[in-house]
Amino acid sequence: MSLLFFIDMKRKIALLIGATFIIFSCGKDDVVTKTSPYSLIRPDYFPEITYPLENNPITKEGFELGKKLFNDPRLSLDNSVACSNCHVKGVAFTDPQHNPSVGIFNQIGTRNAPMIANMAFQSEFLWDGGVSHLDFVPVFAIENQKEMGEELHHVVYKLNKIPEYAPLFKAAFPGIDTITSPYMLRAISQYMLLLVSDKSKYDRVQKGEDVFSASELTGKAVFDQKCAACHSGALFTNYEYMNNGLDLVFMDVGRELISALASDLGKFKVPSLRNIMLTAPYMHDGRFKTLDEVLEHYRSGVKLSSTLATNLSNSGQLGIPLTDEEIEAIKIYLKTLTDYEFISNPIF
Amino acid sequence: MKQLNFFKHNKSFYSVIFLTLAIFMVSCKKDSDKKDPGNIEIEFDNIAVVNGIERQLTLVSPGSTDYGYTNGMSQTFNINLLRYYITNIKLEGPNGEVFTDHVHVSSSGTEGIYLVDEAQPSSGSVILDNVPAGEYNKITFTVGVEENGVTEGAAGGNLDPATCKMFWNWNSGYIALKFEGQSNVSAGGTTGTETLEGVTKGIAYHIGGWKTIDGTAFVYNNKTMSFTFDTKAKVEKGLQPAVHMVFDVIKLFSSKNLIDFTGNNNVHKPVDGKPAAENIPGAFAFDHIHQ
Repeated sequence: MSLLFFIDMKRKIALLIGATFIIFSCGKDDVVTKTSPYSLIRPDYFPEITYPLENNPITKEGFELGKKLFNDPRLSLDNSVACSNCHVKGVAFTDPQHNPSVGIFNQIGTRNAPMIANMAFQSEFLWDGGVSHLDFVPVFAIENQKEMGEELHHVVYKLNKIPEYAPLFKAAFPGIDTITSPYMLRAISQYMLLLVSDKSKYDRVQKGEDVFSASELTGKAVFDQKCAACHSGALFTNYEYMNNGLDLVFMDVGRELISALASDLGKFKVPSLRNIMLTAPYMHDGRFKTLDEVLEHYRSGVKLSSTLATNLSNSGQLGIPLTDEEIEAIKIYLKTLTDYEFISNPIF
Repeated sequence: MKQLNFFKHNKSFYSVIFLTLAIFMVSCKKDSDKKDPGNIEIEFDNIAVVNGIERQLTLVSPGSTDYGYTNGMSQTFNINLLRYYITNIKLEGPNGEVFTDHVHVSSSGTEGIYLVDEAQPSSGSVILDNVPAGEYNKITFTVGVEENGVTEGAAGGNLDPATCKMFWNWNSGYIALKFEGQSNVSAGGTTGTETLEGVTKGIAYHIGGWKTIDGTAFVYNNKTMSFTFDTKAKVEKGLQPAVHMVFDVIKLFSSKNLIDFTGNNNVHKPVDGKPAAENIPGAFAFDHIHQ
């Protein structure tokens, strides 16, 4: 009996060792995948990935080619404006200096350069949502007369003339002979897809690695009550198009241009608030330089027009009732959305 | 009696033999009748019917004041360019023949998406291969690129946004049909997407719109249409019948809605292109078959 028991124990230990080894090796594989900086990982509290990755699998070579293209001013008409001119890494890929952004020949654009972060989880792009696939977002900026002012076919022509690009494209997309626009656009997408901002204090709290301070919790309570109807979820947007009461007369019709619906006049995409402390100026046209101006707008500046968001008029008065203390509290909470690892990530 | 008994007892045995023979015979029959697949050509010929006579189109340079055509409102016009996408071709025959052209979109190229360009006569010829042998007397196709042209991501071939000249970057998607020219009644100073010095009579119809989103007024302007042939196209290995379809540019401006060149003549978004888009099915017609 005792012998049998002993043998049994030995078997069990052997099994246990074997199992541990399997678990360990599985775990190891997992760790390798998860720590590879060139794979897209969705935090479990994020929305689903919308980009069809199976059509454009991310590789180190593709990502790095995309990064090089993103930073290459030769994508513009006069070789002066790269994507990164108006999407600066240090401020979460927005434009800190200009209001709105400045394109070729120092032309002033009409809209504020939006943050490029967490693009893999969105299904419509630009302030009016006119672009329905990430691959086509750069075409808008490249061909916009006030931004990069170039024609896509001419960008492709130029890239084919620059000797350093041919081997980079071949490495990223094995088997191609010449550079064509779909490969260029897919490389830029690979770069943008990996620009995931998920390492702010807010994220650490979500992952159970940190806790909000008392003042952050106070701010969160105010925010959840007064702002989160539109700035909802882990990305702090409901992905809808809203008129937030900036104007009575709309110089820019916004979503109506795309939807052809009069009730969309003056509506723009609710922006993500991630990294909001870094991404001034604010609004689709960059009219507010500080977050204080933004919050003051919601408190006292909202203008009534037919398409105004109901959340900004349903309290019996225009705008959102906010005390000075509440404004300060909201700002403290929003600071937890700043992702310093994101803006200092050496591979971006 | 014994024999009968034997037969009775071996009913299942005989059934098996009978079935096997039957299958064998059927498959033999099939084999002997079955022809190998062949090709079929679909030719899209752009024309203008003037005084009842079909005429080939003549393209002129932007700015030309030589107006060779007249629309349904007696307004004269000319043509700088005419391009359209043909997709989702399907052929059917009276005996159940069906051929659905494979549509595939990828970065290396596209299949089943054809761009007919009046400036490149060969682009009007679409050769479909591996079409099951049989007779066909009906064609269905779509003018325009459906959702997959965008949702599959940046694509090559006929959808390459750098070369197709049919891509809207601000409202990402493909123009279904692009017409540019001049009309004597137009006050438009532009032609197409360019503002040309001295061009004062431009008309541009960039007809597109593929999005359909619930709760919005997105205008879907792709058009799917079917035509029945008065004869049959016989397809098998070694034969390549040619089905001639015609597109009458006059009817683009008159088949359902009369298009007035004095207003709404610089069309660059889906909602503005709706009236002309509704004319597209009536502008196409089956013409004849070369067997």
